[in-house]
Formats: sequence, C-alpha cells, structure tokens
Amino acid sequence: MTGNRNFIIDVLLKLHIAACVIFIFAPILGSFVFSLNSDRFPSLPLGQFSTEWYRLIWEDPFVWTGFYNTVIVGFVVAVIATLLGFGGAYTDFRYNFFGKNIYLALALLPPTIPVVIMGLAMLAFLSRVNLSGSTISVIIAHGVMCSPFAMAIIRLRLSQMDPDLEAAAWNLGGNEWATLRHVIIPFTKPAILAALFITMAVSFDEFAVAWFVSGLNETLPVKILGFLQGQVSPRINAIGSLAFVSSITLIILAQILLRNSSKEKS
Amino acid sequence: MNIHTDMKSDAIVKLDGVVKKFGEFTAVERADFEIGRGEFLAIMGSSGCGKTTTLRMLAGLEDPTEGDIWLDGERVNGKATWDRDTPMVWQSLALFPFLTVQENVEFSLRMRGISKSERTERARKWLDKMQILEFADRNISQLSGGQRQRVALARALVTEPKILLLDEPLSALDAHLKVRMQAVLSNLQKDLGITFVYVTHSMSEAFAMADRVVIMSRGRIEQIGTPQEIYHAPRNRFVAEFLGSANIFSGRLAGTSGDDWLIDTDHGRFAVSALHAPAKSPGDAVTFIVSAENMRISPEGSGVPGIRARVVGEEFVGATAIVFLETESGEELKVQKSHGELASVDLHPGSTLILHWESETCHVLPGE
Amino acid sequence: MTIRRPRLFPLVLSLPLLLWQLAFFLFPLVFLVAISFWTVRNFQMTPDLDFGNWERILTRNTFWDAYARTAMLATASAVLTSLIAFPAAYAISFKLSDRVKQWLIFVLIIPFFTSYLVRIYALQVFLSDAGIINALLGMLGIGPFLMLNTTFGTLVGMVTLCLPLVILLQIFSLNFVNRDLIEAAHNLRCGRLRTVFLVIVPSARVGLVIAALFAFILSFGDFVSPLYLGGGNPPTLSIMITDITKSGQQWPRAAVVALMMIGTLLTVAFAAITFAYKERGK
Repeated sequence: MTGNRNFIIDVLLKLHIAACVIFIFAPILGSFVFSLNSDRFPSLPLGQFSTEWYRLIWEDPFVWTGFYNTVIVGFVVAVIATLLGFGGAYTDFRYNFFGKNIYLALALLPPTIPVVIMGLAMLAFLSRVNLSGSTISVIIAHGVMCSPFAMAIIRLRLSQMDPDLEAAAWNLGGNEWATLRHVIIPFTKPAILAALFITMAVSFDEFAVAWFVSGLNETLPVKILGFLQGQVSPRINAIGSLAFVSSITLIILAQILLRNSSKEKS
Repeated sequence: MNIHTDMKSDAIVKLDGVVKKFGEFTAVERADFEIGRGEFLAIMGSSGCGKTTTLRMLAGLEDPTEGDIWLDGERVNGKATWDRDTPMVWQSLALFPFLTVQENVEFSLRMRGISKSERTERARKWLDKMQILEFADRNISQLSGGQRQRVALARALVTEPKILLLDEPLSALDAHLKVRMQAVLSNLQKDLGITFVYVTHSMSEAFAMADRVVIMSRGRIEQIGTPQEIYHAPRNRFVAEFLGSANIFSGRLAGTSGDDWLIDTDHGRFAVSALHAPAKSPGDAVTFIVSAENMRISPEGSGVPGIRARVVGEEFVGATAIVFLETESGEELKVQKSHGELASVDLHPGSTLILHWESETCHVLPGE
Repeated sequence: MTIRRPRLFPLVLSLPLLLWQLAFFLFPLVFLVAISFWTVRNFQMTPDLDFGNWERILTRNTFWDAYARTAMLATASAVLTSLIAFPAAYAISFKLSDRVKQWLIFVLIIPFFTSYLVRIYALQVFLSDAGIINALLGMLGIGPFLMLNTTFGTLVGMVTLCLPLVILLQIFSLNFVNRDLIEAAHNLRCGRLRTVFLVIVPSARVGLVIAALFAFILSFGDFVSPLYLGGGNPPTLSIMITDITKSGQQWPRAAVVALMMIGTLLTVAFAAITFAYKERGK
C-alpha cells in the first residue's frame, strides 16, 4: 500500500515548511545574535557575548534623534492613516457609486508601487511645494503608504458585522452620526486599535520613502540606511533588534485585539 | 393642510399606488392597501416577492419610487427612518453585540435623549413584561434564541409605538419554539392593541396569527383577505399553487346546469359550483380548483366516472397521507386522506385509480 | 438609502481619503510624468516640454542593460519564490490542523514588520567570503564559495523579501480549493502527485499567478538586495534611479526611468491577470 510512501511525503513536506521558516527567520534571528556578539564582523565560531553595540547606540545622540523622530512620525501617521482608512472602509462597506472602482484603486494601490518610485515622486512633488526635508513630508508620505493597511483591517471587521445592525440603529431613532458613534465605532473598535498599532509598525519600517523625502529629519530606518552606506557597523543589528521588538509588540497587541473581537462575535 | 380625506378613520397605514424600483428591477409593482389600527396584518410570499421591501418602505429604510405612504394621517415619503416611530424586529434580530441586554433595550430611548433614570425604568419595565428581567446585565451572546427574540421585541416596543414591523422574526427558531413565540406575539398584539405588520414566507405562521393576509408575488399583490377567505376562495392560480393543497383544472365554460357551471376540460366535462364565480359567458376560459382533501378515489374498474391517474408516490403527514398521481397527459394531482380511507385502494406506484369529486367542493378562481 | 440630495455624512467619511490619495499619491505620480519633460540648467529644474530626457535614457545601452537585468532578476525571483513556496503552502493548507495553520500564518506575517534593511545586513554576514555559511561549509570540507556581490546573493535577498508574502497568498488561494474535488480525483484513481498538477494547481491558478505577480513587483522595484547583496554593479533600474537622483539634479531622467518601470509593471500585471482569468469562462 501507499501508506508508507504517503508518510514519507508528509515528513518531507513538513521538513520543507521548516526549511522555509528557517530561511525566512535566519536573518532576523541572526541580527539578534550578532547584536549581542563582540565581533565587528561575526562568523563561526561566534565571539564573546557583549552589549557593547547597545551601549554605543545608547550614547549616540543621532540615534536618539532618529528614535524620537520615528516615534513622533509613527504616532501621527497611525492616527491619520487610521482616520483616513476608517472613512475609506466605511465608504466601501456602505455605498455604491459611479467610479467606486477608481476610488478603491486610489485607496489601496500605493503599497504596490515600488518604494523607490514613490519616494522619487514624493520628493519631486513635496520639494516643489516646499515641504521636503521636513517631518511633515515624512508623515504625508507614510500616510499614503499606511492608510491602505488601516482600511483593509477595518473593512475586514465591518464585513463581520450583521448588515442589519446599522439599519436597526437608524430604525430605533439614531441618525447617521449617532449610529456611527454608538454602533459602527463600538463594533469596529478592536479593528481601529489594531489598525493604529499596525500602521505605526509599518511606519517604523518604511525607510525608503522617509530616506527620500526627509533629508535631515532622519527617522530610525533612515539612520540604518546611513549606516549601511557608510562603514560596516554592527550597531545596525542592535538598532534593528530594538525596532523589531517594538514592532512585534505592536503586532502582537493588534493580533490579540482582533482575535478577541472575532471570538466575541460568535 | 393636505389631509387625506379618503383615509378611513381606523386605518393607521395607507399605501397609495406605491411602486419601488431598484434600477431596472421592480421590487414592488403597485401596492394599494390600508392597514387598520390594532390589526395584525401578515404579508406573505416567497423570497424576492417584494414583501420585505414593502415593510422597509413602511419603516423608512427605502423610499417609494412612485406613490404615497401615509402613516397615522401623515404623508411620510422621504421622512428618514430615525424620524419615524416605526420600530422593526429583524430577521437576524440585529441586536447590538457590544451592548448588554438592558443597554440594547434602552437604545432607542438614548437616541431620543431621554434621561438615564427614565431609560432604566422604562427598559426594565419592558424586560419584565417580556419575562427576561433577570438577564438585564447579560451579554447578547449568553442568551438562547428565544430569549434574544424577547430582547428584540422589548427593544422595539420600549418607545410604545402605534405600529410594530416584523421581518420574519421566527425563521431561525426550531419548530417547537416557533409555535410558542407565535403565541407570545399573538397575545402581545392583543394586549397592546397596536398594529403588527408581519412579513413571512410561512403560510402556517401567517394563517395562525394574522387578522388579514396579503399575498405577494414578483412585486404584485395577488390577494388580500382573512386566512379563511384566502384558504377557501383563492383568487387566482398563483394563490392556489402557493397554498399548495389544491388541484387546478382549466377548461372552457360550456353551459349551466342549475346553479352549477358545466366546464369542458382535457379530462372531460365537469359540473362546478359557481358560487363565487365572476360573470362569464359560454366559451370563456375558466380555472377551478379541488382541494386535495375533497378529492375522492375509487379503484380502477369500479365504473365511477372521473379522471384516470397513475400513482407516483405517497407522503405521510401525521394522521393522513398525500398520494401523488399523474394523469395520462402528465398532469400532477394529489389526494389527501386518512390512512383508514386509503387502506381499501392499491397505492403501489404505477397502479391506476379513478379520481372524482362533488361539484360543490369546487371553487372557480375569480381572478383567472 | 435613497435620499437624493447630497448629504454631509457620506462626504465627511469618503472624501478625506480620496483627497489625501489624490493630492499625495496620484498627483505626485502625474507630476513625475510632467517633470520627465523638464530640463535641467545650472542644477535647476525648469518646466519645459522637452523629449531630450526620454531620448537620452532610451537610446542608452546602459539603460537597456539595466532594464534587461532587472526584468531577468525579477522573473527569476518570481519563479524561484513560487517554486519554493508551493510545497510549503500546499502542506500548510492541506496537511496541517487548523491550529497549526493559524499559528504558521501568524509566524509568516512577522517578517513584514521587521526592517528589510536589517535582514539584508544580517544576510551579508551570512553570505560573505568568511561568513557563517562558508564557515559551516568549511567544516564539511567544501568551499569557500563566492556568494556576496553576485547574482546569487541578489536572488537570496529577493527570495527572503518575497517568500512570506507568496506563501501566504498561495495558502489563501489553496484554502479556496474545494476539498471534494480532491477526494473525487482520488476516488477516480488520480494519484497524489497527479492530483496536485491536474486538480489543485488549475483550481488555485488565479491565486498562484497573483502571488507570483506580487513577487515580480516587489523584486522589480527592490533596490536593497541588488545593492547590498549583488554589489550594485551592473546596476538595476532602482539603483539607477537612486544614482541619478544623488548625482546632481537629474530628476527628469530619473523620472523617465521610474515611468518606464511603472509602465513595465502595469503591462506585466495586466498580462498576468489576463492569463490568470483566461479560460475561466469555458
């Protein structure tokens, strides 16, 4: 019988999954390990355990400025992108209108345009309107890139809503504004919070656009790019690890919020 | 003032030539009827017949394309649903999952800006009335189907409206609970004395509860009447087929014999009681029905005049059985009899029987 | 709702996003078209209607070499990633329990929120001449191999970038394959492997093609892998854009390159989607 062969195939397939996961995560784990390693250029066997690189970035005022800018930008972008995304998601959920496809394309396409091109286009445009080089220019660019993510997350939550719920609120005497406040927002609240966290995380990692448009107002990822272009420095690993830990914390928070809300639904 | 003088004093709703189109699609072709104060009206039909659209127009969730809707003496076309007092009980119940039972019931009071203390008092009164006060602080997800139903009713009735709209509210319940909730609804409507407009696809629900029934199909109103009127005297072929228990025959009027009409059909000439029949002259097309219970059967070769038909199959319905038969020309007929009555005949698929009936049990469809 | 006069409510909700994306997404792209016809004099861009930039870029061999190289790399990355991803996506979708499946999907989302730059930097450490991989191979007595600053290095970086997304998209399309079809195929004596190629792949074709398309788009526009793992020489189109912008004010020429890239991506996307949906009406 084929039972034995099937078993071997299943094992091989599972090994393949493991290989893929290792391949994807090796660089991520690698940068963690390297950030705690004394060698400037780590290889096997690994050097000694060291927190030297963390000490160096701790003492680097430019890293602190970059970090500060990243957090400010991330926070503002998260709020703007979530507000814009909520409006877009609700529009898609509720209305049918002429040109809706164009509306959706405009709303959702930015992440598919290569960041280099987006960066170039925005730099050219924003410098024309005298906005390049400022923190505002980074916020604008990140708003464009992040709002589709917020919109997708909130739209997904709205599609879990009983479509009669909104009409029921109108029918019970709430006008559209009251219904938005008392029904739509409470229902989508977990997704709104998840969108805030996820857009903040996307903004943290969106280096290229920031690099193009920001000039001096560097955010952390731009700082990393600077390191890459200059001499090799394992400080990038330390910064990357810190950024990763903060991003992943945001993602896990978002995931927990979404999980709980879908449980509550059933 | 534009007072609609035709309106009967006891009518709370009047639909006047109401048409609803969605683009090219006509959902309601022309609705003209009134609903009385304190009446329990059921609107019945299969899905897509326009019954829910009609209800949504009453609620203000859709605007009629043509015609006028009058509510308690006021023309309400274009008036938003939140400015009307026409609460609805939804098929999905549409309870707010993020609010507790009591908060759900308070919702419409909150939308009307009523103070917290009065809201609580009124909501609790209705929860008590619906016998779910003990669940006031529960989450909706912790309630059973029947309890949710009661929350939905309390939520709709808390403003003490003159009319309640119900959109297939019982369709999700199992058979036993459905019958119990029918009783709850019937009693509630009598106690409150307000108008219920109840949309359903189920004949048994409509006939069990309603004072009057509106039967719709493809956006058209096929018949309005009390359950008895509709059951015993369907107006046309659609209603007869919808009720499902009748055999339908078409033919031409050949002449009269006393009070009966003589009608020529493919199966021969039949005498038919013309009690409810409209005026017709010889040669006109006539359609009449004989209900399955009124059909009689005799074995082949018994010499009784009637229609020869072959047995196709048999279905048990409690103490009775429905026998499905087919004539030589392929027409489907059915007979409903008690098991005792059926014992004397051969019901094996393929065996042939003679079907016949009394002329006074026939009903001529006036709308055909 | 059927109230016809324009109302504030829908406008307040729908317009902000529309205006934002028009002003800061569509308009910059349109602006890019405009400046591709501008001229640069004394390091200053001047509005113009000059085809010189187009002519200059499109008649140069270096551009077409970079174009061919970029297209080749992106195609190779899309094919390679799809081939590596498919057995994994197949196994995750068909062989694992729902809990493990959900957990793996979550794991595959994580890389989207790590810095691509940091990952590429770590890959440099893995791939370099005295790096981790060569050290490992050395223990086995093989190597060292030249991996950094090669096409191989570029492709490793691109596959790292695309693999999680492609696996996820493939899982989602495979989840929609009707399970009964597979049992029906087995029941009709179609073996496991033949079922994969005759039933599963055709059923999931749209999703598989779209996953490959995303890999192509990502790789085509990527400038980090070709630069830091491929050595940047010969350049790809993205590297060209950054080079042109950094060296003086030659943005109009960079715009030409960028527009050629967008044109290529739109063509490829259109062709791929047409191919994905072809024959579905039969």
